[in-house]
This record gives sequence, structure tokens and C-alpha cells, in this order.
Amino acid sequence: MSDEEFLDPTDSVAVPRRTAPRPESLDGKVITLLDISKAKGDHLLDRVEELLRERHRPKAIVRRKKPTFARPAPEDLRALILKETEILVEGLAD
Amino acid sequence: MDAAADPFEGLYARGVTDGLPVIPPTRERVGAAVAASGRAGDALIALVPPNFGRATVEKIAVNAVMAGCRPEYMPVVIAGVEAMCDDAFDLHGVSATTNSAAPLFIVNGPVRTRLEMNAGAGVFGPGYRANATIGRALRLIVRNLGGAVAGGITMSTMAHPGYFTYCIAEREEESPWAPLSVRQGFAPGDSTVSAFAAYAPQVTYDHQSHRGEDLLITLIHTIAVMSHHKSTHHGDTLLVVSPEHARLLAGDGWDPERISAFLWDRLRKPVKDLIPGVNGGEGLPAHVLKKFPHPAIDTTLIAKVREPGNFKLMVAGGTAGRFTAVVAGWTFPKMSRMVTKRIDMAGHRGPASGGRQ
Repeated sequence: MSDEEFLDPTDSVAVPRRTAPRPESLDGKVITLLDISKAKGDHLLDRVEELLRERHRPKAIVRRKKPTFARPAPEDLRALILKETEILVEGLAD
Repeated sequence: MDAAADPFEGLYARGVTDGLPVIPPTRERVGAAVAASGRAGDALIALVPPNFGRATVEKIAVNAVMAGCRPEYMPVVIAGVEAMCDDAFDLHGVSATTNSAAPLFIVNGPVRTRLEMNAGAGVFGPGYRANATIGRALRLIVRNLGGAVAGGITMSTMAHPGYFTYCIAEREEESPWAPLSVRQGFAPGDSTVSAFAAYAPQVTYDHQSHRGEDLLITLIHTIAVMSHHKSTHHGDTLLVVSPEHARLLAGDGWDPERISAFLWDRLRKPVKDLIPGVNGGEGLPAHVLKKFPHPAIDTTLIAKVREPGNFKLMVAGGTAGRFTAVVAGWTFPKMSRMVTKRIDMAGHRGPASGGRQ
């Protein structure tokens, strides 16, 4: 089998994805803060919102929430975020 | 991939194994597995959360070959993929959580004997190729198509040995009750796979009970400490009852429905015994506790397991020994449910036994 190739057990869509390009500035941007419904995630995001308003001039800061941390965000929520925002900050786990 | 180098080293380096050696997935071996499934290689069975990799018959076959499956195991592996990728199973949460739940696959029906699956002595242990490799194939699929890699997507703090492979069969011939698959809604004689988000089995020893009720009270003390002694609202919970324990219970008039109702009732605890910081720091979460203005004297009963129907009973293990394994489920009751799928043997074209790798 020295010249054989093995078949790929993975799916090309499941390979690690590259992170989105980082923005030069947050000024004038619409930022969504996504709460995944983990305990006290709202406390963290409240503070992140305060700091963003203190240090930058975003056009708007939108707060959204997943119904539960244990499942992916519903399709309509994902579509809404894609449509209305340029920058997404997600509060992951605790 | 260049197989000229050591194939085991090459596959391990690619991060597509569980750390144990795998069978190299050559085109010939994968082709035999696809053929034995009776389905087209590009037929899509499911998207595997959380990365939603496409589990086509061929991708399932590649992982099954690597795990060491014989081609004729394919229908079971395919049904296992369908079960764990069902929305009700919530593989997204099971794969991502810091908890320690892995899909446990339970096989019922004639396929058990056809594939020489172990339902008897050492049922959770090694030595039977079908149990070992079907469970392992499904774990590799969780990793390679779902993306669940420890420390990346899988944040389980501890995990457990069932993360390598976790597949058992019910010992229907030694059971006084209907098989698990029938209580899950399938016809007698159907071959099925059930997926259950399972902790490691907690094996309870009771050789002295001579009445069913006494045995159930012993089991209650084991079930009561799932997660911790004050955790509540658990979902599906599996009891793997040994043939001896099953005979004792059935002989005393206990069937799974009556057992479940009894366990559910006796496992409830009053609010006053579930207060955080008293007898241990854990206790009711704040949003539940705030419903009770005077918790220290409140005797309202809170359920350990949400509903009697969350208890799932099956019989397995050796004929000698009075033991029952309590297998806790993932603690979020509305998230992961046991999901059962019928194994489609109709398209199966492989040999009844044997088969080459």
C-alpha cells in the first residue's frame, strides 16, 4: 500500500475557520453584544458596553440574547445579527 | 495523504484519531464499507454538530474503517449517527459542555446476535469487536465531522473513558420486561440504536436485598448523588439492571413504570435540605431559591429527576452478580433526550459475519 492514499475522515467545511479581519477602528460601527444566557454573562457585557461607549464612538450598540447557551443561536437570530451589525462580541461561557 | 511514511504516525499527526492506532482508510476498505451499507457513498445522513460537518455514507465509512469496524457494522453506525444528530439529542451541547457526558449507544433487536455484540458479562468493557468499534467509529465521527476536540470545542473538564468508545447491547433474553427499544416506541423485533448523553456508569452493589423495595431504596441512595447531593431537575437517567436484580424486582411485581414512579417520588427532597451553603456549598440555583421566601423551613418537595418517564431501564450484564449501573445523563433536563432510531437493514448487502478489513 506504499503508493496508496488514504481517504479523508473530515469534512472540508468543518476545518477550523479563519477569524474575520479585525477592524481598524470601532468609530461609526454598529456593534452587537451577544449574551449566550450563561449566568452573569449580562454583567460582563454591561461592563463591555460601558467601556466601548467610554473609549470609542460606535454608531450603535445592540444587545441580543441566545435563548440558551446549550444550543446554537437560532437561524433567525443569526440572520438578524448578520443584517444589522458590523462587529459582534459574544460572551462565551463562565 | 502519503502513506509511504508510517500510516499510523501520519494519521495521528493529522489530528484525526483518538490517540490509539487506527486502520488506514484505504479506498478499497472504505469502498467495501460503503457497499455493505447498501446506500450511495454521497448520500447525506446528517450534519454533525457543532461544526455541522456533512456525514455522508462515505465519510461515515472512512471513520468506521479507521475505528476497526467490519463492513457489516455500517447500518448500526449510520443509525447511531442519525440518533446523535437528532435535534432532541443536542450534540452541540453534549460536545461543548464542561460536564462529562459522552454519547452512549444502546443496541436492541436481532442485530445484536448477528453482529456478536456483548450484552452479558463485562458489558461496558473490552473484548467484543462490534461494541468496541461501533462506539469508537461514532466517537471519531463526533471528532472528525463534528469538530469536537478536547480543549477546543470540547471543554469537558474531566471527560471519562467512554469518550473513546461507549456502546452496549441489551440482554433481552434475560429480561423479564419489554426491551428498551419497545418502551421507546419501536416494534418487537426491530433492531434499534439509542443514543444517550451519558456519564460513566456508577455500579451499585446490593447482594442482601430480598425485596424489590429494599433494592430500589439502595439504588435511590446512588441516584441521589448524581452531580452532587443537592442537584435537582435531572433529565433522562439510565439504569442498567443486572439479570439477577431484574429477576428480584420482577418477581416482586415491579415493572419499569412502577419502578420509575417509586424512584421519582422517593428522590424528591424538601427545599430546606437544598439550601446552598448549608451542608455543602452547592444547592438550588438562585432563580429557583427566590421562589421560596423562607427556605430554611420550607418543606416543598423538589424533584431530583424531572419526571418518572426520565428513568430509562434496561437489562444487561453477567448472569452472576447483583449489581445495577446508574448512568447519569447530561444534567440539563430540557437539552439532551435519549433518541432511538431503527437500524435500516433493508439495504444491507454485506456478509452476515466475517468480512475483510
